[in-house]
Amino acid sequence: MEGLEMYCVELITYVGDARSSFIQAIGAAKEGDFLEADRLIAAGEESFINGHRVHGELIQKAASGELSHISMILVHAEDQLMSAETFKILANEFIDVYRKMGCSFRV
Amino acid sequence: MKNILVVCSAGMSTSLLVNKMKETAEKKNIEVKIWAISEAEIKNHIDEAHIVLLGPQIRFMADKIRAVAGTKPVEVINMADYGTMNGERVLNTALEKIGDAE
Repeated sequence: MEGLEMYCVELITYVGDARSSFIQAIGAAKEGDFLEADRLIAAGEESFINGHRVHGELIQKAASGELSHISMILVHAEDQLMSAETFKILANEFIDVYRKMGCSFRV
Repeated sequence: MKNILVVCSAGMSTSLLVNKMKETAEKKNIEVKIWAISEAEIKNHIDEAHIVLLGPQIRFMADKIRAVAGTKPVEVINMADYGTMNGERVLNTALEKIGDAE
């Protein structure tokens, strides 16, 4: 497999794993398990940072003219990155809302 | 003949992995059917599969897919194996799990 494809697959793996964690974190908060939700957010962020490192390397390659072509798998990887980023923001918002709901239920 | 269904969100990165797995199977003369689909199509393919492998990007759907799969094993592919497209290790693990399930 050529170099660019491997970069893309690595990026998809990291940000895809992050996205899964963020979505699972919302589910945990929905069940009232905020400890698990926080753990999943932290795990997701770790994968997300790794994904961003790979993405940074890709951008550097593009800037230095090493990226010879735009492939479908590269577009797909960028798409996954965007989706993970969106879910990160939304998951944190959802967890906050569930936390606040939990507080009001206890009163 | 073992049937291995590999699922991810679009069926794109798994297609690359499936090619690697097929290469290994051919080299080792293992008779398997391996194919990649997107998670949206899973209901149309699950009957044929002996095992369902999931990409890390749809790990969050594992419970839902297990509910559809019944007694069939549903496994999330190891992140390191997925990221490096290690078809050999993914194939070996899948065959082991099929063996365990039988």
